[in-house]
Amino acid sequence: MTVSTHARRTRVHVTGAASTAVRPVLESQRRPARVLAVFPTGVYLEVRTELEPAVIAVITGGAVRLPNAVLLATPLPRVTVGDEASVGDRTIELGPMSLSVRRWWDPSPPLGRLDPARLAGAAELLRDPPGTGLAGNAAVDLLAHSCAKGWLLGVVTAAERLVGLGPGLTPSGDDVLAGLLVALRHLGLATGSERAQPERAGSERAGSERAGAERAGADQAGAERAGADQAGAERAVWLADWLAATVTYDARTRTTPLSATLLHCAARGEASPEVIAVLRGLAGHQPLEPALRHLHRLGHTSGADLAQGIAIGVTAVLALSGAR
Amino acid sequence: MSTLFNSPPRVITVGAGLLDEALRAQAVPTSPVSWRPPLPGTGDALAKVLADPRRREANELAVRRLTAARPHLVGLRRASELLAEGTFLHAGPPITWERASGPMRGALIGAMLLEGLAGDEREAADRLAAGAVELRPCHERATVGPMAGVVSPSMWLFEVRDDEHGGTAYCSLNEGLGKVLRYGAYGPEVLDRLRWMDRVLGPALAATLARTGPIDLRSLIAQALQMGDELHNRNRAATSLLLRELAPAVVEAAPGEAAQVLRFINGNDHFFLNIGMAAAKAATDAARDVPGSSLVVAMARNGTDFGVQVSGLGGRWFTGPAGVPDGLYLGSYGPDDANPDIGDSTITETSGLGGFAMAAAPAIVRFVGGEVSDAVRATRSMYEITLAEHPVYQIPGLGFRGTPVGIDVTLVARTGLLPVVNTGIAGRVAGTGQVGAGLVEPPAEAFTRALLALAEASK
Amino acid sequence: MNGLPQAVLVRRGSYHDSVTLMRVSRALSELPGVRAAMVAMATELNVSILREMGFDVRDAGPGDLVIAVRARDPDAAVEEAGRQLTAAHREQPGPEEQPPLTTRSAAARAPADLVLVSTPGEYAFFEALDAIEAGLPVMIFSDGVTTAQERALKELAEARGVLVMGPDCGTAVIGGAGLGFANVLTPGPVGVVAASGTGAQQVTCLLDRAGAGVSHVLGVGGRDLSAEVGGLSTRRALRLLDEDPATELIVLVSKPPDPGVARAVSELRLSTPVVPALLGAGAPDLTHATEEVLRTLGRPVPEWPSWPAWRGPRPAPKRIRGLYAGGTLSMEAAAVAGQGEFVDYGDDAFTRGRAHPMIDPTLRVEALARAAETDVVLMDVVLGHGADPDPAASLAHAVARTAACVVISLIGTEGDPQDLHRQAAAFREAGAAVFTSNAQAARHARSLL
Repeated sequence: MTVSTHARRTRVHVTGAASTAVRPVLESQRRPARVLAVFPTGVYLEVRTELEPAVIAVITGGAVRLPNAVLLATPLPRVTVGDEASVGDRTIELGPMSLSVRRWWDPSPPLGRLDPARLAGAAELLRDPPGTGLAGNAAVDLLAHSCAKGWLLGVVTAAERLVGLGPGLTPSGDDVLAGLLVALRHLGLATGSERAQPERAGSERAGSERAGAERAGADQAGAERAGADQAGAERAVWLADWLAATVTYDARTRTTPLSATLLHCAARGEASPEVIAVLRGLAGHQPLEPALRHLHRLGHTSGADLAQGIAIGVTAVLALSGAR
Repeated sequence: MSTLFNSPPRVITVGAGLLDEALRAQAVPTSPVSWRPPLPGTGDALAKVLADPRRREANELAVRRLTAARPHLVGLRRASELLAEGTFLHAGPPITWERASGPMRGALIGAMLLEGLAGDEREAADRLAAGAVELRPCHERATVGPMAGVVSPSMWLFEVRDDEHGGTAYCSLNEGLGKVLRYGAYGPEVLDRLRWMDRVLGPALAATLARTGPIDLRSLIAQALQMGDELHNRNRAATSLLLRELAPAVVEAAPGEAAQVLRFINGNDHFFLNIGMAAAKAATDAARDVPGSSLVVAMARNGTDFGVQVSGLGGRWFTGPAGVPDGLYLGSYGPDDANPDIGDSTITETSGLGGFAMAAAPAIVRFVGGEVSDAVRATRSMYEITLAEHPVYQIPGLGFRGTPVGIDVTLVARTGLLPVVNTGIAGRVAGTGQVGAGLVEPPAEAFTRALLALAEASK
Repeated sequence: MNGLPQAVLVRRGSYHDSVTLMRVSRALSELPGVRAAMVAMATELNVSILREMGFDVRDAGPGDLVIAVRARDPDAAVEEAGRQLTAAHREQPGPEEQPPLTTRSAAARAPADLVLVSTPGEYAFFEALDAIEAGLPVMIFSDGVTTAQERALKELAEARGVLVMGPDCGTAVIGGAGLGFANVLTPGPVGVVAASGTGAQQVTCLLDRAGAGVSHVLGVGGRDLSAEVGGLSTRRALRLLDEDPATELIVLVSKPPDPGVARAVSELRLSTPVVPALLGAGAPDLTHATEEVLRTLGRPVPEWPSWPAWRGPRPAPKRIRGLYAGGTLSMEAAAVAGQGEFVDYGDDAFTRGRAHPMIDPTLRVEALARAAETDVVLMDVVLGHGADPDPAASLAHAVARTAACVVISLIGTEGDPQDLHRQAAAFREAGAAVFTSNAQAARHARSLL
């Protein structure tokens, strides 16, 4: 940390890490911002910009790495709600602090290829997360049913009713939608991924002729199923695109500024590591159950609501690909 | 499943601070190691010993045996059952009369008088100088002795058996504080007390233990640690616990002498020290002779040299000059009156007690010259040079963390951190007795030499 | 010249790492009234350097710290050294705390994902071994680890299933976190396995410039692909990246490997394509290899930024003098230029008892001063984490004053803390031609002859 004295006041130059989601806002021309909320481990800044994320979370220590976050390497400065700040020209000016980024993380890391059979096995664990904010809500049920059927009108209708529904900085309705958006986009891409399929199938060559003949039959069945997966995956991504367009269209006027920004992020598949960890668990890249428990613990109901959204997404991806 | 690609990685940094700072500037969580170069002249030996493919498993086995030992006090024996005629045992690595310090000489003279091998002090000294008695380290005979640690054939020894591995270890009976043989005093009151112990105390305790059956020392020590003992310089709780175990059986076994026996034990806060030392010896002996192991199985001083033995190197001693303890002095005594470090009682530190368990004994931190925080830091620092945390010996103040146990010679050399030893201080003039108590730093060269020998023996 | 008073202070058993000490030494030397200053551990080498500087150091060993100053007011300078050393020691632990003294201890305390070892080379083996025994991947930044130790570490790591990066691994980027000398990179689909630190920096900086983005950079150490080491780390690194869903393509940056090892590596069954970026005679340069990667990804190849010199070439330059901090960059430039004298100041021979030229510009500043009017000086300036926070501040002046014509290969990204554009502008202002492609810089240097 270096301290330099300017004519007016002392600026403290600090560094940190940031989600690549905030990079366009941070690297464009400097714009005024103001402090929206202050917590022990984070400060939310609202930036006067048409770009998203328009709300940036400046966080520290153990705070959730939201997809719109900039993580400080040092303690937070003392600021209060309404304070002036600025974001842009690669710098965040907040209180006495001038922050520049030394590391970027991807809030939407690719999942790689995912076998729908594995997804079906893991889906049970996602059923009925405890402590959701909208348990039994009709709009949530409509959303789930419509997604599973690929019924776009039902999805859009349910989403319209859910945006901004519930109390708090991130209303439950938004969290469910965000979980669903991220799940549809990532799982859709992962189950439809063309990259690894041919190589994986071709890499197993050993075995006797008889085994080879048996495998030929299995391969054929596998190829047909792969075709169905492919089509289902495309429909999941298609659904994600429409849902994204619906919730981002007027999110800024219908929910809190922070929640609107997080919906914009989710629309692009961007989420906190806790959400990504569950998706990675579903893909078999890490243990699923601890990741789920971790997600459930987030916020008051946020974690459970996000998990409910993910569960709806998983069911939809499976249903659309014909695995259910 | 590799966590390497966890984003961001949590990084342990060791070496240049600049690289740690660069990571912190990126908000990457780091745990910097406070690294320093190893003890001078140990670099090549460390490379060899650490590369020995046997080391890791050998050390795991050795320290597992050390911490799994279940020492029980089973009885008493006459030293003559272990010793050939004309042999005395003493504390520490081997020593000759010529090199022996004041208190060691005093204790040897006292033993000559006790055994009737000399008529007076001068004759005893002459005969000892002439080699009339063979001097052997206690450690060679599965025995330990506090301070001078002199054991002569007629003395009683506690017998401790390790139920886990079947080993047996011995230690003399504690005479109390003040003018005592183990501090090199040999006046009439010293010899009178020893004769009473020979005639009354020994037989009474032997008969008592025959009634009680084996006493579980592992559990007794674990309880004493939670009652503020560290089992080297404070044995008050352990002595009390033992007295509770013994009292009814003493009354039954020796009704005529029960009062004097119980009064004697009750009057000596350190009565348990010798039993604890035998327990420690039984545990450390279980860890001996594992080829390739760099675990320390004995630390002992004879008043002139400080010696260590290592599991992978058999019975060889590696020595350096014994230091003078730094501590508090009794009455008008001062550092000039102090003898260099002496005694086998460092077997307690070797087994994860004593200085290593200092944080368990806030009551004596002033006695060893410090604040409670010094005691906590002393114990915490010992985790840096030990291989394990004791599964049963725990420290309440550290959240019931196991005591640091199993000194690794390679860790001592790498960190330059020497074992913390609590000790009593003997007067340098024969016959003076105890002059104080405090902390003493072992000589680094004892560990360096052991390491060089391990390097020679490594594969 | 030795007329000023001097002070020599020995602090027993006070250890500081060489980079910290070098920074304090430099800060002291720059104080007004200070003629000479050195703060160092009293190793044999350092004591002999101090003697050459005219300081009398007695009775001090490698575990002791020496502060030696010749100044108008030496006591004040010694005091300042003490102050700076305390400041360098971050956050003092509480009275009851015991900081970990070994990697083994640190690994036992809290979960970790990686160990970064940068102790003096002869001791790096101990810490690396601790890491592997704790089941942790390790990056060994230190050089001077013997081949036998490297082999032993990598065999043990293979048995435990962990990755060893190095020894002499100058750079790695994991999940965007730059370790050692590394650049601020945008996350993306390209994974890099590198037996050469600066080679990997050149490739990743160009990829970043092209907007391709990098998932991870795993260093393996310069000797990994030799017959003695057998490519153990390269194989493990390739498998790790192959399993990583974020990595769509792998670049392998290396000098030409041992043929047997190359075969073993190529026999790995990977589902991720691998593009080699090999260096040496006949091999295309790193810029070319990077362009190949971009084509494989189906991305456009941009113009690599360069800034021409504002002053024209001097009359008849006769030879190229390469003054490099990066060994691989030096090798590449020598191969592309096809002539000239190249010195790698990052070599062990120059870094014993002195910090790496990416941090300490002294030797190259001196070399610039020595260069002749008929020389073309070709040099690299590497930006990023760990490197000099402002290389232009110390080098641009020397560039401006040298008699030679200077061509600079500036390795860095837009995100680097040193500000790529400001550095380029400063060197250009000093009269140098600046290139972001080392190969292009070398070609330009040759064209000046």
